Amino acid sequence: MHIFEGFLPSPWWQLWFAFSIPVILFGMYRLNRLVSERREIVPLLAVAGAFIFVLSSLKLPSVTGSSSHPTGTGMAAVLFGPAITSVLGLIVLIYQALFLSHGGISTLGANVASMGIVGPFVAYAFYKAASKVNMNFYLNIFLATAIADWVTYVVTSTQLALAFPAGGALTVSGFLSSFTAFAAVFATTQVPLAIMEGALTALIMKYVVQVKGDVLVNLQVLTSEAVNKLKGAVG
Amino acid sequence: MTSILDDYALNSPLREKNNWLKIAITAFGIVVGVSSNSPVTPFVIALCMGIATIRFSKVPASFYLKILAAPAGFVLISVVIIAFFSGNGSEVFGFDLWGHRLGVSTGGLNMALVVLARTISGMSCLFFLSLSTPMIELFSVLKATRFPDSFIEISMMMYRYIFVFMEVAMGIKYAQTVRLGYKDFRTSFRSIGMLATSLFIRAWEQGEKLYVSMNSRCYDGRFILLEEDRPIKRSEIALTSVYFIMVIVVFYSTRNILLI
Repeated sequence: MHIFEGFLPSPWWQLWFAFSIPVILFGMYRLNRLVSERREIVPLLAVAGAFIFVLSSLKLPSVTGSSSHPTGTGMAAVLFGPAITSVLGLIVLIYQALFLSHGGISTLGANVASMGIVGPFVAYAFYKAASKVNMNFYLNIFLATAIADWVTYVVTSTQLALAFPAGGALTVSGFLSSFTAFAAVFATTQVPLAIMEGALTALIMKYVVQVKGDVLVNLQVLTSEAVNKLKGAVG
Repeated sequence: MTSILDDYALNSPLREKNNWLKIAITAFGIVVGVSSNSPVTPFVIALCMGIATIRFSKVPASFYLKILAAPAGFVLISVVIIAFFSGNGSEVFGFDLWGHRLGVSTGGLNMALVVLARTISGMSCLFFLSLSTPMIELFSVLKATRFPDSFIEISMMMYRYIFVFMEVAMGIKYAQTVRLGYKDFRTSFRSIGMLATSLFIRAWEQGEKLYVSMNSRCYDGRFILLEEDRPIKRSEIALTSVYFIMVIVVFYSTRNILLI
């Protein structure tokens, strides 16, 4: 859910920048610390970012007929944690704005807030909580990714409704009726899209566990016992 | 997706111009366009940027219009919602739907037109930059700012690997397509899952190899870039100032003009 360049009026685009910049700074601080401890992480993060970009430029087969593509941020949040995902998301969003004309520069703050910060944070929190109660790994991945998508789309609708409330002036009822309108219209593409992306990510994870389970152990996504158990369960 | 905007930037005659000047022109257009309350200023900016991109950057006009239409879906839906829900004033037209009155007021329609104009102007400013400045040039700009090294490193390597993976992904997709991998919904879903997975594993192994190979060449976490010195010519300053002054004059003289 990218908001396109020029779509958000002042003061909203500045406000969303003000929201995103501290989180990005914190993400960069975490990234710097991680990089100084484990230098081999730099190329790995770079290829992960490139993977997210390429994944987001692939078109998913869509039920509604509209072109829809995975965001990949839910998966990145589970793999790398939300703070680093926000920095990777920032880079991916800049590249998407410049190369594919998805999103824009003045709306970058708002897009980073929805796709890079809130979505991944919720996905990560869900993944951790569900792992505690021993939810099935694939179901967990599916739900975490789908929820990341839905949260992203709810945040985007909120951003649009705050900037364009019904009745012209920002009131609670004006915000709510405008929010319902945006959310209802985007739901037609976003609800099936999130389910598709969740299923796709779970499928990716299934293959990754079978072929390269050690990666997940290295990233502390799963313990090695859990990987062995999952491998055994499949065959 | 066969060609991304960067491909055009590499061949653009404007590539040789000063990066900061191009960034200033883009930023100016974006900020003025988004702060304008009348659709006239964004329209003027969009026109200037469009002409500059097609004329000076030698981008084919048909391609330019095509990429400008790309965001149309999202923008049009949102603009219709704004027209119906936002703003007040006398009703232009309306109808009854399930007992609710849905109407477009003058305020809402004006707001929708302004937002549409702002979006088009913002996109054309962005296209001016991305069709004239390859990412490689922007990295030297990033280096001059205070971003942490690790951030710039990751951006640069990511840029390189986007092209590597894009090629791999296109190859796999082609191979899957000729084997009827996208014949129906179920098969295409399975195919795209396999494609994404092999891409992920390939990416991971590539990253490990990259680390080993760069380490053995004494990589210490810093790429050194050779920056070319590109002085700004007088004629460029003159043209840019004329454009800036014209936009500011239009901005002030039309700030209260609405179409309806």
